Amino acid sequence: MPLLDRSEYYDLIRTTNWTPSYVPEDELYPEEMSGSRGIPMEKWETFDEPYKVAYGEYVANQREKDAGAYSVKAALERSNFVDNADPGWISILKAHYGAISVPEYAAMTGEARMARFSKAPGNRNMAVFGMMDETRHGQIQLYFAHEHTRRSRQWDWAHKAMHANEWGALAARHFFDDMMMTRDAISVSLMLTFAFETGFTNMQFLGLAADAAQAGDHTFANLISSIQTDEARHAQQGGPNLKILIENGKKDEAQQMIDVAFWRSWKLFSVLTGPMMDYYTPLESREQSFKEFMQEWIIGQFERQITDLGLDTPWYWDEFIRALDETHHGMHLGVWYWRPTVWWNPAAGVTPEDRDWLEEKYPGWNDTWGNVWDLIIENLTEGRPELTGPATLPMICNMSNIPIVGTPSNGWNVKDYPLVHNGRLYHFGSEPDRWCFEQDPERYQGHLNFIDRFLAGWIQPPDLSGGLAYMGLAPGEIGDDAHNYEWVARYMPAQAAAS
Amino acid sequence: MTDAPEVLKPLRTWSHLAGRRRRPTEYEVVSTNLHYRQDNPDSPWELDPDIHMNKWYRQYCNDSPLRHEDWDAFRDPDQLVYRTYNILQDGQETYVRSVLEQFSDREHDSGLSPEWVAVLASHYTPARYLFHTLQMASSYLSQMAPASTISNCTTFQTADSLRWLTHTAYRTVELSRTHPGAGFGEKERQLWEQDPAWQGFRELMEKALVAWDWAEAFTAVNLVAKPAIEGAVIAGLAAAGRAEDDLLLALLADSQMRDAERHRRWASALVGMALETEGNKAVLDEWVAGWQPLADNAVDAYCSGLPGGDKIAEETKTAAAAFRTQAGLD
Repeated sequence: MPLLDRSEYYDLIRTTNWTPSYVPEDELYPEEMSGSRGIPMEKWETFDEPYKVAYGEYVANQREKDAGAYSVKAALERSNFVDNADPGWISILKAHYGAISVPEYAAMTGEARMARFSKAPGNRNMAVFGMMDETRHGQIQLYFAHEHTRRSRQWDWAHKAMHANEWGALAARHFFDDMMMTRDAISVSLMLTFAFETGFTNMQFLGLAADAAQAGDHTFANLISSIQTDEARHAQQGGPNLKILIENGKKDEAQQMIDVAFWRSWKLFSVLTGPMMDYYTPLESREQSFKEFMQEWIIGQFERQITDLGLDTPWYWDEFIRALDETHHGMHLGVWYWRPTVWWNPAAGVTPEDRDWLEEKYPGWNDTWGNVWDLIIENLTEGRPELTGPATLPMICNMSNIPIVGTPSNGWNVKDYPLVHNGRLYHFGSEPDRWCFEQDPERYQGHLNFIDRFLAGWIQPPDLSGGLAYMGLAPGEIGDDAHNYEWVARYMPAQAAAS
Repeated sequence: MTDAPEVLKPLRTWSHLAGRRRRPTEYEVVSTNLHYRQDNPDSPWELDPDIHMNKWYRQYCNDSPLRHEDWDAFRDPDQLVYRTYNILQDGQETYVRSVLEQFSDREHDSGLSPEWVAVLASHYTPARYLFHTLQMASSYLSQMAPASTISNCTTFQTADSLRWLTHTAYRTVELSRTHPGAGFGEKERQLWEQDPAWQGFRELMEKALVAWDWAEAFTAVNLVAKPAIEGAVIAGLAAAGRAEDDLLLALLADSQMRDAERHRRWASALVGMALETEGNKAVLDEWVAGWQPLADNAVDAYCSGLPGGDKIAEETKTAAAAFRTQAGLD
């Protein structure tokens, strides 16, 4: 007799719900941890994950995947890609590893929430593989980043960022903690695995992998596409739970969770991935623009998925599509301007050729953001670099924890969306950010963003040096222009005349 | 952009590991100090400090009666990382597959005595539920432990529990094919919920699953329940099986016990570390004293229906107590 096929015993592996009697069911599965929303246990047993894997296959597949990723790294180590790569690309690596490695490890906790508290036995098992996957993603990315610590202190932030009060790390924590660390099991499956992983990690891991391959960084391209193969599997936990929620009259709650998670994911990506793709990646290595990647991965695929499952596109969809032409340009300008406050060196990405590309991809760029960059360039070419760095603080959104931006110059529309709640004035970067807050004010009301902390006197002395100290950024770590302003020479009168 | 005089120099490793003399291992590089929720005791999560989950982590992790000034100093004695775990377990699973195939080829199940088949139906295949409770309980420890190096051990333990469950489900289907009238694949839930043999373990695990304090959960699961379960339901049942020529069960059990022994190595190391802090021994001893009677009763109830059950029960209880004593507890 041959070995049994997985399909012959798989259902028994996930037939594990029982009726507890020594402990009441709602104590074994507290609502705030489980999130079953009154839907009875047997309904959750209909959970059917589209991607099935049993333990023995899992360890065999993952062993092979790791062997692939680690051996590519080992084989390419001698090529010293990182020492010769464009500094803009290096900044992508530093930003990515700092913002992603430790949060991926933290996602293990979100998966463990499902593994323990979901009432769907299939969900509990899949989440065990999810816990393992996220342990992998934390560990492998830390390992790959670690070999670079000898190159610059900024690489230390692959491990350090999430332990620091640097504003971007703070924003990332606020986002990840909201989506995956402080939610019940069912919410985690919708907000983390469905909204974030199905939609956005594709962008970071496949979109950026395409750019990495173009840039010649095969180690990184191979690493993040290998990670995405895990994401593609464990992201499929949200769909079956979504189906159960809708079948049991909870569509509105499901829709609200997706709408909050999607918007919050978008804002994080606008500051993290947008500048990487449209400014830091060397022009010749850009596979597509950030907007084009978003159109392909998010609008093309995610929109179809949510409508196929019976949900509506989020109410703010028109605003989201409009913002694809705007938000990340503002974020990039802000990050470059406040460059001492990040752990990587932002690449300006505004040579004449870059600007032609930006104008082509984002018609009107030169008439708006371009005008601001013109002023920065003028200050740099005329020897006034002190005017191109931070002297004041930006307005920061109480939801996204990143700057409030809009289109500058001839398209001026920068606007605060305020809200007074329990006597405190909150500021938001958009109507959907304010709406997210209003859905559950208790989750957010007592949190202080970076500016709130400054105004509360937590940051001393109350100036840039105090801010940097609070953020844990010292010389050697703080960011500066990735290309050491060499690109500015292109705008020097003599050079400009020659070209 | 800077006028500060001192510029931090690059280091050979993460800054938090840089002060040590020796070069950190791969294990340390990828496993240590990853729970950023431990940085701010007032608000583990970067949201309103008073949300439910912040209170939960403050109460059940940070304010645990088991105290240590630096839980992040914990190291897994096996120094397993994700990469090596899969290498280790893929090897084990390759072995298990070959065992399953060989015993299937020689029609092992048809040669089992009807009496032993009845024991497998009553005492083996319902363990699917029991192993699942270990899986659930271990995943709780992963989300609550105060150090990533502890969480990693419990994550691998979670996966190992799913491994045991998977073996059991596999064998349940095989046995149901050869012995269609014996209830395999049909009666397990009923037995788990009602048969006296299982009620002790079900009570123990349902209660352990709601031991919300991370360290009490660790004590209940790793120091009390697992030694009892592994002693009786894995090793004990396998010993009875050997006497009934069920070598397949014994070989599967041996492979599972290698996981169990690894779990005991890190659990002992964690107890050893906890005992460095004054007052912790009393905390652990009191918890063990509270949980042990449930486990002892469970072992007795389970073993009473096994051939040679009295001896297995005694050996299990003695070995479990010896494990705790060796770890430094009463």
